[in-house]
Amino acid sequence: MSALLTLENVGMQFAVRPDHESGQHTVFEGINLILNEGDRLGIVGRNGAGKSTLLRIMAKIYAPATGSVIWAPGVTVSLLSLGLGFKNELTGRDNAYLAGLLQGLTKNAAKQCLVSIEAFCELGDYFDEPVKTYSAGMRARLGFATALLNNASVLLVDEVLSVGDKEFREKAQLALEDQFSDRRSVVLVSHSEAHVAGICNGAICLDRGGITARGAPQEVLRSHSGQPSGASGLKINR
Amino acid sequence: MNNLSIPQSLTLMNVMATLSLKADAQRYFFGYLWWILEPLLWVGVFYLVFEVLLGTGRADFLVFLAVGKLTFIWFSKSVSQSANSLLGSRGLIGKMDAPKWLFPLAVCHEGLYKQVAVFALLIVMLLYEGYAPSAAWLWLVPLAITQYLLIVGCGMLAALLVCMRQDFQLLVQLGMVFLLFMSGIFWDIDSIGNAALRENLLLVNPLASLIDLYRTVLMDGSAPLLTQWLTVLVESVVILAVLVWAYRALHYWIARRVVTQ
Repeated sequence: MSALLTLENVGMQFAVRPDHESGQHTVFEGINLILNEGDRLGIVGRNGAGKSTLLRIMAKIYAPATGSVIWAPGVTVSLLSLGLGFKNELTGRDNAYLAGLLQGLTKNAAKQCLVSIEAFCELGDYFDEPVKTYSAGMRARLGFATALLNNASVLLVDEVLSVGDKEFREKAQLALEDQFSDRRSVVLVSHSEAHVAGICNGAICLDRGGITARGAPQEVLRSHSGQPSGASGLKINR
Repeated sequence: MNNLSIPQSLTLMNVMATLSLKADAQRYFFGYLWWILEPLLWVGVFYLVFEVLLGTGRADFLVFLAVGKLTFIWFSKSVSQSANSLLGSRGLIGKMDAPKWLFPLAVCHEGLYKQVAVFALLIVMLLYEGYAPSAAWLWLVPLAITQYLLIVGCGMLAALLVCMRQDFQLLVQLGMVFLLFMSGIFWDIDSIGNAALRENLLLVNPLASLIDLYRTVLMDGSAPLLTQWLTVLVESVVILAVLVWAYRALHYWIARRVVTQ
C-alpha cells in the first residue's frame, strides 16, 4: 500500500469579496492527510467548511495558499461533481462526448462511451435535445453518467449520490462502488451519513478551519453530529 | 500542470468549437447561412451610409469596404466573444484542471471556421466585380494565419482582463468601436498626408496594417510589403507569447478568480 496523495500543512484563503484582493478569509489551514491505495475517505462538515475547496486542491484545480500537495508519480485525479460544466445549447449527447474528451479520452473512446452513457442516464429521446430543455433531475442523471468515464487513480466525489429519485440513487451508488478497487483511492464528500458510513473505510470532519475529527466513519459522524450548530468557523484576516 | 496533454487540449478545443458552431446554427432559422449573411449585412449597412448617402467617390468602394469590413468583423467578433470565455466556462474550470487558454482559443477557432466561408465569399465578390485572379491572392493564407495569431493573442488578453475585472467587458466593446474607426475600414490609410503618422498608425495598430496588406494582395494583385507583414507577424507572435506565459503563470489564480466570482 503506497501513498497516492499527500497533503502537508495545507491551508486556503479566499478574498472576502472577489473584487478585493485585500481582506482574506481563511477557509482552513494546517490540513495534513495521506491517501493510500484502497482508501475510501469520507469528508463531512457543514456548508462553507471548505469540503469542495479541499477537493479542488486535491484535483489540482486550486493551488493551496500554504503548505504543499504531493501527488505520487503517474497518479491521475478526477473530480466528479454534478450540475457543472454543461453547455446549455448542446444536446445531452454532445455534452457527454465533450465530457469524455475533457476527462482525457480519445475521440473514439469518447464516442464508444456514449452508448453506455445513454443507457445509464435513461433520458430517452431527450439525450438528443439541448440540455437547456432538461429538468434538474435530468441534468443530474446526465452529470452522473458522464462523471464516471475515466480510470483516474484518485476519484474525488462531491455530492453526486444525492441526486435523482430513489431508484436512480441506488443505481448510481452501485455504479460508483463498481469503480472501487485496491489500486484506487476515493474521497467522498457527502451530507448523507448513510453514504459515508456505507461506502467509506475512513473519514474526517472538516470544520472551524481545520480537521476536527478523523478515524472510523461512525466515530467521525458521531463527532460531527454532536457539534454545536452555527457558522462554519471561517476566520477573517484583514 | 494539468491532466490533458497539448494534443489532447487542441483536439478538445477543436471539438468545443465545432459543437458550438453546430449548436449556434441549430438555434437560427437560417442556420449556417448566417456565417455569410451577417458580414454581408454589415457591408451593406456601411455601403449605404458611406457610399449611397455620403458618396466616397471611389469606384471600387464596395470591394474596398468589403475587404476591410469582412476582415475586421472576424477580429472584433472573435475578441469580443473571447472576452467572456473564461467567466462563461466557470462550471468546467471549477471541475477540472484544464489549460485555461483552451477557452478563449475555442472561441477564436469558431471564428476561424466562419471566416473560411467569408473569405470564399470575398473571392466570389472580387471575381464578380471583375478582378482577375492573381498569384498574389495566395498571400491570403499567410495573412489570415497572421490575423488568427493576432486574434488569439488579443482574445486571450481580453478574457484575462475580464477575469480580473468585469468592467473590462465594457472597455473591450469600446475598444472595438475605436478600432473600427482607426483601422481604415471605410477610409484609406494612404489618405493620411503625414507619412510618419501613417507609419506610426500601422505600427501601433497591427489590424490597420493587416487590412492594408489584404487590400494590396486582393485588390492590387501585388505581393505585400514584406517588412510590413513581418512587423505585424512579430507583433502578433509577441502578444501571443506574452499571453501564453501569463496564462501559465496565472493558471491557479484564474481558476480561483473564475470560480469565486
